[in-house]
This record gives sequence, structure tokens and C-alpha cells, in this order.
Amino acid sequence: MSAERITRREMLKRLVIAPIGVAALAALEMQHAHAATMQLYYEPYFVAVLCEGRTRCDTLWRSMVGDTLPLVPTVQHTTPYDRLWWMGYALGSAPVDMNVRILARAVDRNGVPLGPGWRTLGQATLQTPPLRWFRVEIPEGHWDEYRIEVRSATPRLVYSRLIASQGYWKE
Amino acid sequence: MPVRFLKNTSEIADVSVESPLPVALTNASLVPADTLLVATLGVNNTANRDLLGSTTTEQPTLTGCGQYRKLIWTYFRQGADATTYWVYARTTDPLSGEPLSTGWQLLTASAGETLPGGANEWGRIDIPATGDAYYDQYRIVVQRTGGSANYDMTFKIVGVR
Repeated sequence: MSAERITRREMLKRLVIAPIGVAALAALEMQHAHAATMQLYYEPYFVAVLCEGRTRCDTLWRSMVGDTLPLVPTVQHTTPYDRLWWMGYALGSAPVDMNVRILARAVDRNGVPLGPGWRTLGQATLQTPPLRWFRVEIPEGHWDEYRIEVRSATPRLVYSRLIASQGYWKE
Repeated sequence: MPVRFLKNTSEIADVSVESPLPVALTNASLVPADTLLVATLGVNNTANRDLLGSTTTEQPTLTGCGQYRKLIWTYFRQGADATTYWVYARTTDPLSGEPLSTGWQLLTASAGETLPGGANEWGRIDIPATGDAYYDQYRIVVQRTGGSANYDMTFKIVGVR
């Protein structure tokens, strides 16, 4: 993170130069965004960034952060979230033909999984032209842990972000 | 070029995890989820036996659930023999906590529903399957209705507002 201290005079100069940008920022209504991995209590946010990472996708089933350990979750403490979205970008000039798998499980109060293995929520093939974004919606929420896996015959670098919403209603 | 904003009156900062863009969240309420029950049940062919092993028909499995629009029952079953479940619900008097009457409303079919999954598999059941709940008490009955091998089922019930 970088920050610079400026004088009020300098600040006014910048505001004069870019008034449109300042007005747009002031008018924005958005949600707090914090990386919320491994949190021990639930932050009071509607949308949380659970995980960001990248992986060298190859012929092995790898999580979105690169590990091939099937017992290790990608994200934990996700019970409050009713819906997740996985967004990513695969580098490379070849068309994207990538297998993806979404796994989930529940844990007891000590954080120990109720049983071995995972429940497979879905498995599919992502096919897009090269250098395109993809987005996968995971509608089955309220599991305690998720594992997002990718696999591809053509090795490529995949950047990913996993966000989740707690669901809310407007008064 | 990073997105920058005026953090304090005289400091311009890059948007980052440590310095998120300040926003205003108005007129919205949280919808958290609460873990209500985690246990292991030895599933057998005893009729009218709930997740806590009780065969007392008036005894609830869960109480104080009026704030939850839905319960999510996740489990890991170790056996494959055919198993049936029933979900009963009712409301209580808000002051005394007593049920408004004896008996229950059956949320599943009268013949029960088949518990999904096989040996060493995960399963999940939403209660109710559709719509909202908001009942105060639930009684969840599980019975092995086929085969002859009892098995353990470890389960968790989460209430979602």
C-alpha cells in the first residue's frame, strides 16, 4: 500500500483537475470489502472477499490457490454465506478448456469435518476464447468449508477471486 | 493505475485490503447463520426416534427456532441401507414456551422422505424444502427402513435467518 501526504493547497489543485472523479466517488454506494479468510468470528459484512489467489492449472486437480492436497479447504468459516461467486481469468493465447469442481463439507464445533471426503456441489468444463473472464455462481451456501479445484490439459495460469454474500433485505 | 481516494483530510491512499474504499451501507440488516446442533446418531430401525435418540413423540429435537426462516441439515452417513426421515414442526406460546397444542405439523410426506446418499457420503437437506419456516420447534425423525445394518450418521443443523 502506498500513501502520500499532501498539503491542502495540493489537494485543492487535484480536485480542480479531476472534479468528475471526485463527484463519482462521493456518489458511490458500495459494500465494505475485506479479505475474510480464516476469520474466527463473522464480520458484519454482506459481501466478503473470501480468497484471492492464482494457480498453475495443469492435469492435476489443484485448488484455486495451487495445492493438490484434497483434504485442505480453499476457504473456511463460510457458514453465514448463502451464495458464493468464483471469478477468474486464465492467461494464455489458447482457448480456455478447463475442468472445474466445487466441493463442500460441514465441520463440528471444533472445526473437525463431520466425515471424510467432500460433497461435490458441481463439476463442469469452462470453455471460453482466450484471455476472457469467467464467473461461476455457487448457489448452495451455508457449508462450513469449500474447496474449488481446476484442471486443464493445457497448462495455464489462472487468477481467481472468491466472494460470498450473506444475504440481506432492505428495510 | 490504482484507484486512489482521499483517506483523511490530507492523505491520498491507494485502495487495498488495508485501506478499503469507504462506503455507506444504509437500511439493510444482516442475515447470519447459527449452528444449532452437532451430534452423531446411531441410525437403526426404531420407529419415531429423533436425531437425539428420543422416542418421546412430544419432545422436540430443536426449540427456540422461531427466528430462522430455514434450517440446513448437513450430514455424513456411514451406511447405505435405505433410510427414511420425517420433519415435524410447531409453534409455541411466546411467553411460556409451551406448544400451542399437542401434536405436530408434518413438513414432509406422511410416508416420509428418503434420506439421500449412500455409504460414506455427504448429504444436505433444507428444512423446509421450499418457502420459509419460522416454526419454534422441530422434531426430526430418522429410521432405517431397509436392509439390516445399523450405521452412524454425524450431522449438523444450522439455522439461517
